[in-house]
Amino acid sequence: MPAKYHIAVRRVPPRYSPLAKNTIIDWSEGCLRCARCVKEVCPVDAYRKRGFDRTQFVDTIDEICRDCYRCVQGCPKELIFKAANPQYRHMGDEYWTPEILAATWYQAETGKIPVSGAGYGGPFSGPGFDSFWTDMSEIVRPTRDGIHGREYISTTVDLGRKPMFLTFDDLGKTSYTPPPLLELPLPILLGEPNLGPNPGQMQGILVQAATRLDTMAILGRHTMEPVSGEAARQVMPSYTPNALSLDDHLLSQVRAIEILDHPGVLKQMEAVKKRYPQLIISIKVPANGQVVARVAELAAAGAEIIHIYASERARGLGEFHDLHLKDVIRRCHLRLVEDQLRDTVTLLVSGGIALAEHVAKAIICGADAIIADLPLLLSLECRLCRQCSKDGPCPVQIEKLTVKRGAQRMINLIGAWNNQLLEIMGAMGMREVRRLRGEVGRAMFIEDLEKEIFAPLFANRQVETIKREPN
Amino acid sequence: MPMEVIVYACQQAVPDPQVLKAIWGRSDIHLRVLAEPCSSKVEAFQLLRTLASPVDLVWVIGCEEQICRYNEGSSRAGGRQAYTKKYLAEIGLEPARLGRSVMTPDDQAALAAIMAEIIERVRSLGPSALRRQPAEAAAGLAAK
Repeated sequence: MPAKYHIAVRRVPPRYSPLAKNTIIDWSEGCLRCARCVKEVCPVDAYRKRGFDRTQFVDTIDEICRDCYRCVQGCPKELIFKAANPQYRHMGDEYWTPEILAATWYQAETGKIPVSGAGYGGPFSGPGFDSFWTDMSEIVRPTRDGIHGREYISTTVDLGRKPMFLTFDDLGKTSYTPPPLLELPLPILLGEPNLGPNPGQMQGILVQAATRLDTMAILGRHTMEPVSGEAARQVMPSYTPNALSLDDHLLSQVRAIEILDHPGVLKQMEAVKKRYPQLIISIKVPANGQVVARVAELAAAGAEIIHIYASERARGLGEFHDLHLKDVIRRCHLRLVEDQLRDTVTLLVSGGIALAEHVAKAIICGADAIIADLPLLLSLECRLCRQCSKDGPCPVQIEKLTVKRGAQRMINLIGAWNNQLLEIMGAMGMREVRRLRGEVGRAMFIEDLEKEIFAPLFANRQVETIKREPN
Repeated sequence: MPMEVIVYACQQAVPDPQVLKAIWGRSDIHLRVLAEPCSSKVEAFQLLRTLASPVDLVWVIGCEEQICRYNEGSSRAGGRQAYTKKYLAEIGLEPARLGRSVMTPDDQAALAAIMAEIIERVRSLGPSALRRQPAEAAAGLAAK
């Protein structure tokens, strides 16, 4: 058995106080000066430890407070309140919600799985990735299952073209050279976010994080800083159609490259493979109306990896702008199954993968691995204010972050995601992430439940109600 | 270095803080808006620390006292302003660097008038003594 893959997480405190969900309103005027003030019995000593964050102009008490409400309930003059923090609520957008941002910061700081407390108070289901659940019926022996169990759960994935069968010569040896295959210990690759104040610094952080995680960092070739040696093995340069030159010295150093899809991509791939046969080539295809047919075409023509990219809100592009990424993946996956090509090619997906559960769910829908991009920027304390896209100042000065510190926060985030993936797979009774791919039988989709279970039940009830009405 | 203004805005009075930035429309004076659940969230020490950060003007926008969601919040915020201004005068800093406005929630005309007042105030005051060179600031304080 290979050594257990381990991600070394280490706490990296934030440079800026993360905005708290709730805030304390403290009316000290009119205080009765009780002998034993409720502020003195605060279990986390928030009133004594509070300070002022002069970079964000906020009272740090909200960061310390654990929302126990002891002071709110205990003040005899009712001078202390808790209210929702509007600064927290205004962060992000409808997709990248404040909760996602806060959970990402927590994971990047601690490397631990965010636990929100007992019970779940959210809605039954929602759009996109929230419209289906994984079947966790195997979570019967928590001491054995999950990440702390005895049984090894493999998160290893293979990137590249896989032969469907073997052929042998007269001597019984394989009659062809097997295609190159890239084995990654986790189904997560690191992508370059399209935001951020300093792309060069971000690339340095991504390369260091990818090296320590033993995964790949996909970086735009045209903006790429020079890399060499061991670091080059963890980099997958991404080329635009006209930017790829066979004389590029990087092609002999890296293990894989990515080319943006265009009509002549297969010829280009053939030319690259002829000169660099050990190089694995990924073709980056937009998740638009032609994606299903294009993926089938490329797979049939011998593509090794196909990277389907959606919008940052996990929606398709062009005609598919209303279609969620999960549906795009399912359609492509099923088409490849239909064409008997699914096992030959690797499908990578990106765009809108915001939480650890999205990794597992994208794989269930049919992806082999995912590419995380925007969450990696969030792990660097990004507030998603998008000032950087307007050349405005970064409120958390990401450009001043050191590569070492940034890489560790990224590693912490991926470590927490990997642990959640292990938890999900352990609870599902899965021992290998490769077997999770396309395993929709181990998931429950709300549209199927509504059709098969809820619709007959509620339709009958409605009929009964109508029948009873005249009485 | 451009002058800096911090506005603490009650979320009832200003539901969308971005509106303030849209009205502002100036690049020579940097504006930062912080949404608060009530203007009474901002305590005296916070006002003083913000001024000491240093910024050139601190402004609090709240609701009119009779319509405050927290009943007494707006009036308490007014009391704090008065106390803080008195304190500023005592230590020899300009109390005018602290301002407060009350308005009916989401009243765009009132908001525009408040922003005009803020611009006028910060322009008339100029950069804060705390933002100037320490020696210059010390000399200024000694003269007072």
